[in-house]
Amino acid sequence: MTSAMHRPQDGTLLELRDVRTHFSTARGIVRAVDGVSFTLERGKALGIVGESGSGKTILARSIMGLLPKRGTIRQGEVLYAGDDLAKLDLKGMRKFWGQEMSMIFQDPMTSLNPLMKIGNQIGEPLRVHLGMDKENARATALKLLQDVKIPEPEKRLDQYPHELSGGMRQRAMIAIALACGPTLLFADEPTTALDVTVQAQILDLIQEQRRDRNMSVILVTHDLGVVAGHTDEIAVMYAGTLAEKATTAELFANMKHPYTEALLRSIPKLDQPSHTRLMAIGGRPPDLITPPTGCRFAPRCPYATEKCRTEIPVLESISAEHSFACWNPVGSSHWQSKQDELASNAGLASAGGQA
Amino acid sequence: MTDIVLDTPSKPAKPSPLTRLIGRVPPIRKWKWGFVLSVAYLVVLTFFAVFANVLPFIRRYNELPKGAAARKLASYRGKPSGSYWFGNDKLGRDTFARSVYAAQKTLTIGLASIVAALVIGGLLGMLAGYYRGWYDRVLSVIFDVLLAFPAIVLALIVVGRFFQSGRLNLGLFQMDKRFFGVIVVLTLLSVAPLARIVRAQTLALSQREYVLAARGLGASSWRILIREILPNLLPAMFSVAFTGLAVLLVAEGGLAFLGFSVQLPFPTWGFMINEARPDIVKGGGWAVFFPCILLFLTVLAFNVIGDRVARRFDIREATL
Amino acid sequence: MAGTGKAHLHGEGQALLSVEDLLVEFPVGRTGLKVNAVTGISFDVLPGETLGLVGESGCGKSTTGKAIMQLPRPNGGSIRFEGQELTSLAGEGMRMLRTNIQMIFQDPISSLNPRRKVTNIVMEPLNIWGIGTPEERLKKVNEVLEAVGIDPDRAASSKPYQFSGGQCQRISIARALVLDPKMIICDEPVSALDVSVQAQVLNLLEDLKAKFGLTLVFIAHDLAVVKNISDRVAVMYLGKMCEVARSDDLYARPAHPYTQVLLNSIPVPDPTVKITGNQRVQGEIPSPVMPPSGCRFRTRCPIAQDRCAAEEPELQALGNDQYVACHFPLRSAN
Ligand SMILES: Nc1ncnc2c1ncn2[C@@H]1O[C@H](COP(=O)(O)OP(=O)(O)OP(=O)(O)O)[C@@H](O)[C@H]1O
Ligand SMILES: Nc1ncnc2c1ncn2[C@@H]1O[C@H](COP(=O)(O)OP(=O)(O)O)[C@@H](O)[C@H]1O
Ligand code: SF4
Ligand code: SF4
Ligand SMILES: [Mg+2]
Ligand SMILES: [Mg+2]
Repeated sequence: MTSAMHRPQDGTLLELRDVRTHFSTARGIVRAVDGVSFTLERGKALGIVGESGSGKTILARSIMGLLPKRGTIRQGEVLYAGDDLAKLDLKGMRKFWGQEMSMIFQDPMTSLNPLMKIGNQIGEPLRVHLGMDKENARATALKLLQDVKIPEPEKRLDQYPHELSGGMRQRAMIAIALACGPTLLFADEPTTALDVTVQAQILDLIQEQRRDRNMSVILVTHDLGVVAGHTDEIAVMYAGTLAEKATTAELFANMKHPYTEALLRSIPKLDQPSHTRLMAIGGRPPDLITPPTGCRFAPRCPYATEKCRTEIPVLESISAEHSFACWNPVGSSHWQSKQDELASNAGLASAGGQA
Repeated sequence: MTDIVLDTPSKPAKPSPLTRLIGRVPPIRKWKWGFVLSVAYLVVLTFFAVFANVLPFIRRYNELPKGAAARKLASYRGKPSGSYWFGNDKLGRDTFARSVYAAQKTLTIGLASIVAALVIGGLLGMLAGYYRGWYDRVLSVIFDVLLAFPAIVLALIVVGRFFQSGRLNLGLFQMDKRFFGVIVVLTLLSVAPLARIVRAQTLALSQREYVLAARGLGASSWRILIREILPNLLPAMFSVAFTGLAVLLVAEGGLAFLGFSVQLPFPTWGFMINEARPDIVKGGGWAVFFPCILLFLTVLAFNVIGDRVARRFDIREATL
Repeated sequence: MAGTGKAHLHGEGQALLSVEDLLVEFPVGRTGLKVNAVTGISFDVLPGETLGLVGESGCGKSTTGKAIMQLPRPNGGSIRFEGQELTSLAGEGMRMLRTNIQMIFQDPISSLNPRRKVTNIVMEPLNIWGIGTPEERLKKVNEVLEAVGIDPDRAASSKPYQFSGGQCQRISIARALVLDPKMIICDEPVSALDVSVQAQVLNLLEDLKAKFGLTLVFIAHDLAVVKNISDRVAVMYLGKMCEVARSDDLYARPAHPYTQVLLNSIPVPDPTVKITGNQRVQGEIPSPVMPPSGCRFRTRCPIAQDRCAAEEPELQALGNDQYVACHFPLRSAN
């Protein structure tokens, strides 16, 4: 919070240039992240969305430099306020962790130390990084617990993680992540382990803290509903690559990539009548050792053509705030004819069903 | 009417039963040499132990050099040499023959105790963890008492009181009483810790949803214990057994040290070390050194293998 | 929330399952205190219907589901299945129940024994009951596996960890189907799955329901998911029933303040919809060891009055099959 004062308030914070993270395993090379580029402005929230195994976590960790050492092959540049983080070793990265960037994990129980009081866990980074004394650290920890709106914060300082509910644990986790006033906060599925009411509270809390502290946030999730109300920009990932990237408003208003469309359609919505059939995406994301040639989504894409199976679509910008990688985007003539075909098939099917 | 997808592309080849047991044998450059050497060592040791009674050069384990003069000359004289590979002991006996013969006794004691402890401790632990309630409470008290009981006192009572000497007639088996007594002591010592581990594991496993699911299907308690819980306990039990075996071998040495282990004419490593220990300065060094080395290597080998077995059985339950 | 009351129950003979005044308590260590996990709820399920059960984590949804299965037997109340009282069943009668009602659990991976082959896991119910010859059992298992979209050959040679989360949930469903049950209780079957797999499993459940004529109790914390699959929805809070209604009505005209805030918590995949924090439920759910007096929701209710602390509301009919337990419902009877 102290350093936030003399930080520039806007401008580019993070720029990724063709980032690739591969793992060499017994079965072959896993291309977990395969050529991702984007930029993130200060104070903005970016959502990274995709199915399980699409490389969201590995992308976030590639930026943070929190990758396993053995068998990891990295390429590309991660420019953070001008420094290339990809070139730094563990020692170099340590300067950034906690103070410049910090992370909230999916499961607050496994990422909190079960044997340490909450107050000490929040105080520790303050003492290590900011050199605070014990009383100061405790007072700041209390202030942080108030910021994250834990009920009865004084009591919580001296409690252990198992004494807190799931939602409170996630709040404590956020307090720890915020302790040293980071410029960039990663939240990797921060609410997947929580139920909807707590999820809504936690997402609101992250957004509020971002505004108060002018932080940038990268929010990783599989649920487009979660990012819709809580981000400025969205990057949709599929099989280690970017399928589509746009500002949140633009993406939902003018979605172009069939995968984004499919993700959205698979969510049950409150305004649909009950028993509305969901448009599930058949199958699973591909094996990242031998990803499909051409467009990686082609085996599951209802609009795939021969071209899709042979030529890799490149990420193209249709405006400053919107780019996607697809040969037959939503709204194109091929997409339209396929839609009509699907609609008439569905009509036939339901007519047959009634007979 | 459905859009169910068969998302099961590749079918794994069916492994042979042997492969399933030991896992795929990797190419030589990927061998874990510690493990390979440990197995090789134990195979050789077991071979000698099993055939100790018939191998000609081992049978002289208890032979004294002929004549009093020769005996006096031979005592602690022989450094390792062509005819006495490990040298001689105080009485001039062949330390190599004795060490190998001791391997038989030591391993038998260790294995018998650990198997007995596995069966008894495993069963009690499983029942305590599964049924809980008064049963668990009674057993916990017994285990606490057993754990708090000093090993020496236990040995004193069991060996000193019940199995002092003589032979035990168990119908088919005939056994030296003292030998049996040592097994009883070591078993008693390892039942409590084993049962505790098994109890804790069973407690955790019986909260798993697949156990609940089986109960919901109407499976009987025995069926649940044997089909659902036991297979998931075995890996932990095996790895504890291997490490426990190593501990027991050392414990036997300790008992021997205090004179509570087997007696002449059956040597164990612990007994041999104990016997020659006072004479280290008088030239008994070799007679202490070799059993020590064998004990050390055996304990190490069991630990290495136990570690490997634990990892082999470690199923990743979550792959999401 | 509130309340007790049985105004919403259908007549005897109509319902496949009817639960009345269900009471489940757990002792808290040896303190003499108890967790009031479920305190006197009543509901019923019509044949062929899907009843959704929603509420925050810890409100007693799973406990209710397990109580129906008699796992463990509830501390009080009555549960009737096809007119037969389950809470007093033993021996042969319990056997019947075990084949008629099945349950699917939340965590797809931990509900399958990691050390058994998938085919064996699905066959286990048939083995337990000694149904059919080994060949007939295998045939039945393969049929069910096909029905849920799992390749039987792969199932024969693989263990659960070799399958993805969604596939494991299909395997759980297959195991539940193999005894041809009349009713399946699904305890948060999609909460651990990501959205695309969740859609696959929801569609699968709808198909199987039609194909096998099943009756479902579908437990979840996400109202959008529950609405999609259910005919009627029951909203629970802290061991009590708040509101029961047809799912479309519940969404269009929620009557209980808790239903309203639950609806506001659902993430809407549309950035133009703005719901502010204070329209959502605030704070933490109180401890079920010492629940609030009167209406249990009063500590978090935006419109609570003095009467709410003093008097427990009862379920009252609003007409059109909608029932609410609140002294000041958001809409009045129609
Ligand atoms: N250390 C590793 N070695 C080999 N492969 C790995 C490693 N870590 C991750 N992967 C693989 O990289 C791919 C992307 O993983 P990642 O964790 O980023 O997925 P994700 O999008 O975050 O999924 P989820 O929604 O399940 O968290 C997966 O196929 C995964 O199996
Ligand atoms: N075996 C148990 N022992 C003690 N308390 C329990 C037990 N099972 C559930 N509870 C408590 O009962 C309440 C309801 O739990 P549960 O039915 O699992 O909630 P839900 O499924 O709605 O999340 C919770 O407070 C929970 O902690
Ligand atoms: S490029 Fe082709 S296969 Fe890929 S998403 Fe677009 S239409 Fe589908
Ligand atoms: S208004 Fe009163 S009775 Fe109704 S939900 Fe709120 S607190 Fe309960
Ligand atoms: Mg992830
Ligand atoms: Mg539950």
